[in-house]
Amino acid sequence: MIKIKNLCKSFGDNQVLKNITETINQGDKVVVIGPSGSGKSTFLCCLNCMEDPTSGSIIFDGEDLADLKVDINKHRQNIGMVFQQFNLFNNKTVMENITLAPVHLKKLTPAEAKERAMELLARVGLEDKADVYPSTLSGGQKQRVAIVRALAMNPKVMLFDEPTSALDPEMVGEVLDVMKQLADEGMTMVVVTHEMGFAREVGNRIFFMDEGQITEQGTPEEVFGNPKSPRLQDFLSKVI
Amino acid sequence: MNFASKFDVFWELFIVQGGWKRVLSVGLVNTLLIAVLGLLIGIVLGTLIGAVKVMPKYKLLPKILDKICTVYVGFFRGTPIVVQLLIGYYVLWPLLGITISPLNTSIIIFGLNSAAYVSEIMRGGILSIDPGQMEAGRALGLSYSTTMIKIVIPQAIKNILPTLGNEFIALIKDTSVVSFVAATDLYKTFTEIGNVRYEYFMPYLAMALMYMILVFIISCGVKAMERSLRKSDKN
Repeated sequence: MIKIKNLCKSFGDNQVLKNITETINQGDKVVVIGPSGSGKSTFLCCLNCMEDPTSGSIIFDGEDLADLKVDINKHRQNIGMVFQQFNLFNNKTVMENITLAPVHLKKLTPAEAKERAMELLARVGLEDKADVYPSTLSGGQKQRVAIVRALAMNPKVMLFDEPTSALDPEMVGEVLDVMKQLADEGMTMVVVTHEMGFAREVGNRIFFMDEGQITEQGTPEEVFGNPKSPRLQDFLSKVI
Repeated sequence: MNFASKFDVFWELFIVQGGWKRVLSVGLVNTLLIAVLGLLIGIVLGTLIGAVKVMPKYKLLPKILDKICTVYVGFFRGTPIVVQLLIGYYVLWPLLGITISPLNTSIIIFGLNSAAYVSEIMRGGILSIDPGQMEAGRALGLSYSTTMIKIVIPQAIKNILPTLGNEFIALIKDTSVVSFVAATDLYKTFTEIGNVRYEYFMPYLAMALMYMILVFIISCGVKAMERSLRKSDKN
């Protein structure tokens, strides 16, 4: 589904991603873990070119997203993204947040978009919040709306950038539940997170990133049960 | 100085002979017309310039636009408004071979002038919006300009409304120089009353009072707006 070839990203002299080559398959639930500053979020942001790769390629739908000539907006419509800080549009109601992009990009008619939004909101238990503004929602509710907003575009893959890191502990569960549900439905997902329980339970592949490289990967059993590198052993001993 | 006789002369001209009618229906109306329409032009043009200023500048076109806007803002902030009025009316229009009435000239020049100031206000307003808003829009597949127009700029405008109110107040006061190009505003109509008997003491005092009342009313409006915005931010 997404082929990453020799991906490098530098901010000035600081090389954040070092030559990453990886394939993410249809239906994969990839969970990216690793210490802060290891390049996890940058890696995720390169997948939909929110950060333009310095070199290398991201092959999605047969096109190289890293190529500046490719219409990135078209491809982003198929790549949902959920942010740590939710980033709901403050000047739009929940309903408008969800329907804005599908309607504007002519994926759905206003009526269809509304219907789909209500359907998705019902799934995350927020159908009564359709007409309120984001500022009235709790963090967990905001993040669920943000997930719905991404889903309304019917994406082929969903990227989650530390979706629970900005939440109060008691709200983490409700967001993870929605993500689990999504995983069960077969959505292809790439999740950057510090929730090791979620990684173990939902992920089918775990990437451990350290200093801009994926230094170890495997199934949750392999990575959590039998970590090979001392760096990963050290990291796991600190977070679990 | 005989205050009573000065007052009597003014009373005679302003009230009895109906001088107030022209002051209100021509002077006040034109002053407001220049300030309101000027501000509207300023907001539209200033928003465009402000948006250009915050555009990412990887490509050539934004770079060129940015240079043009810098020169534009530099000119309008670097010269007095009177000079701009005179240049427009006596230099630019003849050069272009067009005739524009003094009133319309004033509206245009005040619009162009306030655009330069509004663009800086707008630039600050746009920069004050969380970059996450732009990221979210782009991640959904919306273009830079769509996200800017639908998401960022409406929030920026809401944040800078009180500042725009103050710009409007500044504009009202600045309009008192439009008689340089023979436009008729509050100042001009009061001067006309003074010219009748070469007696300017009362007319100019009344004029000052009029400007003060005008500004007072608008600043009350701005304050009310600030209050209601703060309320809507809370919920």
